[in-house]
Amino acid sequence: MDIQLSHVNKRFGDTAVIKDVSFTVAAGEICCLLGPSGSGKTTLIRLMIGALPADSGTIQFGDTEMPNMAILKRLGFMPQNDALYEDLSAQGNLAFFGGLYHLPKRTREARIAEVLDMVELTDHKRKLVKDFSGGMKKRLSLAIAILHEPDILFLDEPTAGIDPVLRRKIWAQFQSLKAQGTTIIVSTHVMDEVVECDKGALLYNGRLIEYDTVDRLLAKTDSGRIEDLFFAASESEARS
Amino acid sequence: MIQLAKRVIRQTINDKRSVMLILVAPLLILTLVYFLLGDSDYVATVAIDPDAVPAPVIDALEQQELELVDITGDEADQALDYLQQHEDVDAVLRFPENSGMDITLYEPSTKGATAISEIQEAMADINPTAEAEVSYVYGTQDQTLFDSLGYVFLALFSFFFVFIISAMALVRERSRGTLERLMMTPIRRGEVIAGYTLGYSVFAVIQAIIIVLYAVFVLQLSNEGNIFWILLTMVLLAVTAVSFGATISIFAGSELQVVQLIPFTIIPQVFFSGLIPLDLIPYHLGNLSYIMPIYYGAAAIKGIMVYGDGLSDIWGYLAGLTAYALVLYVINTQALKKFRKL
Ligand SMILES: Nc1ncnc2c1ncn2[C@@H]1O[C@H](COP(=O)(O)OP(=O)(O)OP(=O)(O)O)[C@@H](O)[C@H]1O
Ligand SMILES: [Mg+2]
Repeated sequence: MDIQLSHVNKRFGDTAVIKDVSFTVAAGEICCLLGPSGSGKTTLIRLMIGALPADSGTIQFGDTEMPNMAILKRLGFMPQNDALYEDLSAQGNLAFFGGLYHLPKRTREARIAEVLDMVELTDHKRKLVKDFSGGMKKRLSLAIAILHEPDILFLDEPTAGIDPVLRRKIWAQFQSLKAQGTTIIVSTHVMDEVVECDKGALLYNGRLIEYDTVDRLLAKTDSGRIEDLFFAASESEARS
Repeated sequence: MIQLAKRVIRQTINDKRSVMLILVAPLLILTLVYFLLGDSDYVATVAIDPDAVPAPVIDALEQQELELVDITGDEADQALDYLQQHEDVDAVLRFPENSGMDITLYEPSTKGATAISEIQEAMADINPTAEAEVSYVYGTQDQTLFDSLGYVFLALFSFFFVFIISAMALVRERSRGTLERLMMTPIRRGEVIAGYTLGYSVFAVIQAIIIVLYAVFVLQLSNEGNIFWILLTMVLLAVTAVSFGATISIFAGSELQVVQLIPFTIIPQVFFSGLIPLDLIPYHLGNLSYIMPIYYGAAAIKGIMVYGDGLSDIWGYLAGLTAYALVLYVINTQALKKFRKL
């Protein structure tokens, strides 16, 4: 399913946090949201999934304008904080969300085992989440987000605090999800991960300063480093 | 909804402290209250000047459960000073010329009251026509304070502990972000609240059974009515407590704030729960009780335990509780719109 944002605005009190953002992501693409801390990445994701109402503008998934209950089922969301039930085991957390998504009983157990395997938590499935390390929580959170095989996956800094080896494995997972047709929106601080994506959306102070294919974005910089685009934006902001 | 209820149950069981708070804390406090309000064997001390008190009176006083202390006539005349200097003496009894009996007490207290009632019994022994026979429509004279106020604690406990646990769990759910995640699934808003209520109701039922059995059979709290109706009332009250907790969690930003809100949410309800007779509260403030859920629960439990009421007598209170819970349910479902419009 493709995603279209058109002139989306959001204020918190007096401060505009998302300013007139429009872009389109085609089905089966990976689009990364890049931007310094506080630039509005999390807010934009929460607007897209309908957890926050936009002040103006429209957000469409396929032909359907959000928010919409039927579409909701087909979205997966991994929040920036872990959002897990600490007094439940990994298995318990997955079983709970699996039930809420009405995964059929017959296949539920198998699917839970599958995602636990993907994030390499099978050996820890009975442990309570409060005894998990930070990286283990992140991986469990990711497992919950992909549990019901969503069409569109929103990932808010999924690899923060995860070691490079596992990070590579997780990105391989994203690529295989993409190959199955999943559209992925992923926010990140790690500029190396940009090359894994098809599109890049650069947010700066709530404005979309660049939106293009990753190849073209890289071509716009002399150094081949995305950071330079932000330095340019901060300089032009300082001048005006 | 069942999914959510199951999760609440599993989660609470895994958190040992919550289980303790719901199941063990009420018993502990009830036991403490039992000893504090129960029958005390306190023997009051009364000071008399043996030369100034008629011999038959002294004989009669000695028959009572009193500690008698002899004092001089001067000391008796300076009764106020004497009592101030002798804290172990509760009362000074004198028979001044040309008047009846004169009792001086250190301060209004139950210790003084014990002294007075023993002295009165002694007088009645001398002059049987002066004996006052007190009888009650409900209860008996030798019931302890625990017997006559115990029902208030049953109501308070079934409300308070469930309220604390559920309000905190909901605040945590919001601050951890799990509520947002929950609202991303196709669950309906009403199901979220109903599932929560159902999950905690399971603990409410277990808690009610344990508290009532313990109070009636172990602590021998006097009960005129049917235990089943007490259980029903306590569970209804606890269900209201979950809804109340959910509503309060909307206004609380953190678990600490749930505690900070207790002076506004719980403490006023304690005063209006029957500890103080509502008719004695001035300026018709007693009417405030109608907006407090514990009042309905306490009134129903009192009806059952003290008056031996059946369902036909207490249904009004139960209806009040149910209405309360329903109104809160609607408020809570509306409040969830903040997380998802649909
Ligand atoms: N609920 C809220 N109320 C008020 N202001 C908010 C709220 N949520 C976010 N903001 C503000 O919106 C701006 C963007 O925040 P956001 O969380 O979207 O940034 P971000 O790009 O995700 O940052 P980070 O990389 O640190 O996660 C910040 O200035 C933040 O203070
Ligand atoms: Mg963020």
